[in-house]
Amino acid sequence: MVDSMATEVETKEPLPITVNKPTPYTFDLGLLLAADPNPLLLNGRENLEEDLASTARDGAQALLNQLLSTCPISSTPNGVLLSLPAIETRLPREKPLPPPKAQTTWEKFAAKKGIKAKTADQRKKLVYDEATGEWVPKWGYKGKNKAGEDDWIVEVDEKKERERKEGTERQGDGRRERKEKVRRNERLQRANERKGRKNGQ
Amino acid sequence: MLRQIKPRNARSKRALDKKAPKPIENPKTTLFLRYTTCSQVVQDALTDLHQLRIPLAKKFTKKNAVHPFEDPASLEFFSEKNDASLLVFGSSNKKRPHAMTLVRTFGYKILDMLELNLDPDSFRRLNQFKNKKCAVGLKPMLLFAGTPFEGPVTNEYTMIKSFFTDFFKGEPADKVDVEGLQYIVSISAREEVEGEEAKPSVHLRVYLIKTKRSGQKLPRVEVEEMGPRMDFRVGRVKEADESILKEAMKKARTSQERPKKNISTDIMGDKIGRIHLGKQDLKELQTRKMKGLKRSRDVAGSEDDEMEDAISDDEPAKKSRQG
Repeated sequence: MVDSMATEVETKEPLPITVNKPTPYTFDLGLLLAADPNPLLLNGRENLEEDLASTARDGAQALLNQLLSTCPISSTPNGVLLSLPAIETRLPREKPLPPPKAQTTWEKFAAKKGIKAKTADQRKKLVYDEATGEWVPKWGYKGKNKAGEDDWIVEVDEKKERERKEGTERQGDGRRERKEKVRRNERLQRANERKGRKNGQ
Repeated sequence: MLRQIKPRNARSKRALDKKAPKPIENPKTTLFLRYTTCSQVVQDALTDLHQLRIPLAKKFTKKNAVHPFEDPASLEFFSEKNDASLLVFGSSNKKRPHAMTLVRTFGYKILDMLELNLDPDSFRRLNQFKNKKCAVGLKPMLLFAGTPFEGPVTNEYTMIKSFFTDFFKGEPADKVDVEGLQYIVSISAREEVEGEEAKPSVHLRVYLIKTKRSGQKLPRVEVEEMGPRMDFRVGRVKEADESILKEAMKKARTSQERPKKNISTDIMGDKIGRIHLGKQDLKELQTRKMKGLKRSRDVAGSEDDEMEDAISDDEPAKKSRQG
């Protein structure tokens, strides 16, 4: 990129912007750091400052070239910003890593039981009913859990009929089962609460 | 060791949370302090380094009778009290004139220490250079020039490099203003010469950067010394303990997904996996079966014969899924 630009401007004598060194610089742009692995060229004590300044100039030029040519530049109202890459140099921390957070009682229990957090899909109230091609609620008014409760014709399950208790009939079986499930869940909930209270104190 | 404090109110809780270890740390604070005797040169050097390091710096003016290499306990105390993990300690005495000790701590305990002896003749203060200074708190560019800094093994020079990188790192930033690239800190040392007693000195120079139109896309850079100017010789060194350094180098796990090992994609877009198999045990290799080779032949008993027929046929299968 630099070379192609250099060929365009030939009217005025362009100032050199490239730095040529036998060993190339290494950069850590996240830190704005350049390392010049070449031996330092010093010609005696009198010229020390000029030599150091020229080394620094070359380094600054190389670093700025690298920064401006590789980092994405964005113009904002606050100024022209350079996005720096992540820092590569490993530097020691000042404090040890914080210990991992302790699991809560629920997290421990869920891990033991293999309970996973519900997905976004599971949290939705509506489900797709493939038979009718409509979205119906999972529970509640016209809920999916009431499917088959008011069918006007039902196949007889002979095994169930044989085991049927005296004084009950098939009518309202689905509703009874559903209500029983709710009651069972409430029972378990109360038991869990009782157990939690006992363990907690 | 400070006593463990339980926060009694929200303000002290916030203060403690600020000090607590974090996965991604606060920028390091530097503490500047001095020994009971400290030459004017070293005091000036401390002032100037403090000036470059503001606002992540604190400077003590009172004298402290601390010998960092003999008993660093009170430096550790200062580190904890001020939540500073970089310390610069100035001292001067007959045996070690114009010394600056650079100290890094890890978890408020000394990690490594490095003593630099300032050359009083070449030292120039920041305000001895009569030019415009850069704004306070700007991120400097850094340059390490010379072969000594490149060594693969830890020595004085790589420690200097690591320390000054830490020192001038400042606030971590993923974006910098181009206007903010105003000065460069250049630290250079010439290569070591065989047969020379003294180690080469380290030159620290700070230059302002002037950019000129070059007629091309990138500007032409010129430098102008801003100060301070320091030349050091390396004195005593205390390297970091290996196990502590390993602990200190740990990185927090980030949420970024780590790249899967041993899986690559070639230019055709084919997925290539590298599989490591255990070493094949040639003793278990099934060779030609002959009665004479039966192991039970040399054993007197004949009860093992049936066992021998079931010689392992689960010889490690060599499968290559390459390509």
